[in-house]
Amino acid sequence: MKLTVWTYEGPPHVGAMRVATGMKDLHFVLHAPQGDTYADLLFTMIERRGHRPPVTYTTFQARDLGSDTADLFKATCQDAYDRFKPQALIVAASCTAELIQDDPGGLAQSMGLPVPVIPLELPSYQRKEAFGTSETFLQLVRHLAGPVERTPEVTCNILGPTGLGFRHRDDVAEIEKLLLGMGIGINVIGPMGSSPADIARLGAAHFNVMLYPESAEPACRHLERAFGQPYTKCVPLGVGATRDFIKEVAELADMSQPSLESPDLRLPWWSRSVDSTYLTGKRVFVFGDATHAMAAARVARDEMGFEVVGMGCYNREFARPMRALAKDYGLEALITDDYLEVERAIEALQPEMILGTQMERHIGKRLGIPCAVISAPVHVQDFPARYSPQMGWEGANVLFDTWIHPLVMGLEEHLLHMFREDFEFHDAAGPSHHGGHTPASEIKVDVPEMTVTEDGLSWAVDAEKELRKIPFFVRGKARRNTEKFASEKGLSTISIDTLYEAKAHYAR
Amino acid sequence: MSPLDAKAPPVLKGQDGDGSVQVHQDMSVKIDGAKVFAVYGKGGIGKSTTSSNLSVAFSKLGKRVLQIGCDPKHDSTFTLTGRLVPTVIDTLKDVDFHAEELRPEDFVYEGFNGVQCVEAGGPPAGTGCGGYVVGQTVKLLKQHHMLEDTDVVIFDVLGDVVCGGFAAPLQHADRALVVTANDFDSIYAMNRIIAAVQAKAKNYNVRLAGCVANRSKDTDEVDRYCDTVGFKRLAHLPDLDAIRRSRLKKKTLFAMDPDEDIIAVQKEYIRLAETLWAGTDPQAPSALEDRHIFELLGFD
Repeated sequence: MKLTVWTYEGPPHVGAMRVATGMKDLHFVLHAPQGDTYADLLFTMIERRGHRPPVTYTTFQARDLGSDTADLFKATCQDAYDRFKPQALIVAASCTAELIQDDPGGLAQSMGLPVPVIPLELPSYQRKEAFGTSETFLQLVRHLAGPVERTPEVTCNILGPTGLGFRHRDDVAEIEKLLLGMGIGINVIGPMGSSPADIARLGAAHFNVMLYPESAEPACRHLERAFGQPYTKCVPLGVGATRDFIKEVAELADMSQPSLESPDLRLPWWSRSVDSTYLTGKRVFVFGDATHAMAAARVARDEMGFEVVGMGCYNREFARPMRALAKDYGLEALITDDYLEVERAIEALQPEMILGTQMERHIGKRLGIPCAVISAPVHVQDFPARYSPQMGWEGANVLFDTWIHPLVMGLEEHLLHMFREDFEFHDAAGPSHHGGHTPASEIKVDVPEMTVTEDGLSWAVDAEKELRKIPFFVRGKARRNTEKFASEKGLSTISIDTLYEAKAHYAR
Repeated sequence: MSPLDAKAPPVLKGQDGDGSVQVHQDMSVKIDGAKVFAVYGKGGIGKSTTSSNLSVAFSKLGKRVLQIGCDPKHDSTFTLTGRLVPTVIDTLKDVDFHAEELRPEDFVYEGFNGVQCVEAGGPPAGTGCGGYVVGQTVKLLKQHHMLEDTDVVIFDVLGDVVCGGFAAPLQHADRALVVTANDFDSIYAMNRIIAAVQAKAKNYNVRLAGCVANRSKDTDEVDRYCDTVGFKRLAHLPDLDAIRRSRLKKKTLFAMDPDEDIIAVQKEYIRLAETLWAGTDPQAPSALEDRHIFELLGFD
């Protein structure tokens, strides 16, 4: 175990809370000390939920450890049942309570409550939040879903959305609309929005849509084994993936010739119509949960024309497909849950944009690299009031907008020329949206020494000075291109002329 | 005295063999629900053949069966799958022992008649511990809930009594089954196994179910030994060429063209499976000392 300041995932009981919080008429009794109640804030403050999570904590204190914490747990269970009258109860121990070995599952089952009691085994010191989510949903499905008759018409379940999920609310709406448009009925959407009674009739659907593999894969696999329900493997993030998803659904629903177009889809034309120097070839680094990161890599390369220079994920459960995909891109995937390692990778690659999580946004801020958020963990600002899905047709449009915004607008060749001496673009000026520009007169241009690169190429002082006139956000690229050009020509010194020849060369 | 001292586990030194200190297994790896059998016997006696045919026999009774090969040789499930499947340890090595990257299909393979097959594999010869490998395998199966959807688990254990790979399955098993033949060496090995299992039974739930006389025309010597120590013979498989041929053909006996002999042997395996499923009384034989077993069976 490592001490760390920030983590991508919380302990597994937070995953269980995400499932419980998304659901209705389910209650979660968590054997946990006082301090663990902080997790409530994730839902009320970050996600802005209008109600507290349906979680009751035993909140044992130091003095309880001297008496009987098992009795405390049973009393808490009974109180929670009497007060909330849920259709089912899930029980578990938090990471701290795991150590006192009270076996909440056994205790709760021996109480003879009139509703199903589902014990969760959450190995806090081996696994993390995403495991907690998928394991909790799996256990709910295992315990509650029984054999039921199939619906006469073709229906499916949409599985995976939870509380505190990145755009789950809007993704579900978008995909529901897409499926209904194809003439496929929706049996149950869960865990978010469903009740234990809904989970019990999952078997009525003809197939399952696995919207978020991170939380739904084990449940989908179980349903496939138990009720013979196949499930979709493609996650509809981006235009290409949405088309693949429609084809996969059509096959499962036994439909021919589904429509692969939508009048609402604008991403392809938008990305073709912007100035090509503004988007094309932008070097991006992609990191997040594996599902979102893999989909983002595809959109970045095939739909936006970016160059993916690095990618990875923090959840080991999906490390293998991530590595395989990275190989396709000629890259080695970065699989780590240590944000400092991610920061080092980004620093070394110097991408022009990061597609990442809230953590990468922080990294981007430190390194001065723009960042768009594509995956959990996310900040309060990533739970917008407006409709803003990531999946389906509208999701693709949203991806275009959100990925373009962090790139500095107006970054086009002629503008670079017109404004290259402009005081606002100078290093010391700071970003214009922060308001506080340094007056032009105060800017001192420090005259650089002659620099020598690792390959023995040296920059003449005047060339280096000229290079500094190029705005900082493209300077790295200009430097790299010029050095590459010079070494191809066999030059040892880069003069102003070399700089402009290189520029002309690459403009061709 | 600090409070912790009072809770320290008892040191049961020497109870399962000279000088050993008993370490209890972690409750989280306990196998609930399924009936668990461990198959033991001298090297080359036909443990894998017996296990595989028994697995199929259980599956013919409509049970969901999982066979775990615990021999580094990893050919226990060979006749079920028709190939040498990758071992758990090899698979774990591929993911640098990050077990959470794996899915059940990476280490569980479906064999003949739906029998689920796992090969634990082993450490390189002369290094590591077979017991660790078995422990990791059970942990992995448990984490993926493979044991909850199973009625019968069969551990096919390696022949070596002193290896940790021998002891580990005993922590999980309900009944141990010994495969023997009607000759001195096999019975001598059975005697050692009985002593070892009895030692483990002091601390674990495992009990001896009985023995299977394999690859033998007669059973007189086996029976004489069993009568002396108070043990039970549960089945008798004759020395049939068809059994040898079935291995060469990568098949269990249930997949062979039926002739009279084969049908008789199939029936015997089914009978054994029925006996084991119905439950056997725990046997408590007392192993003979070396001197006595030499006297009992002679040297031939």
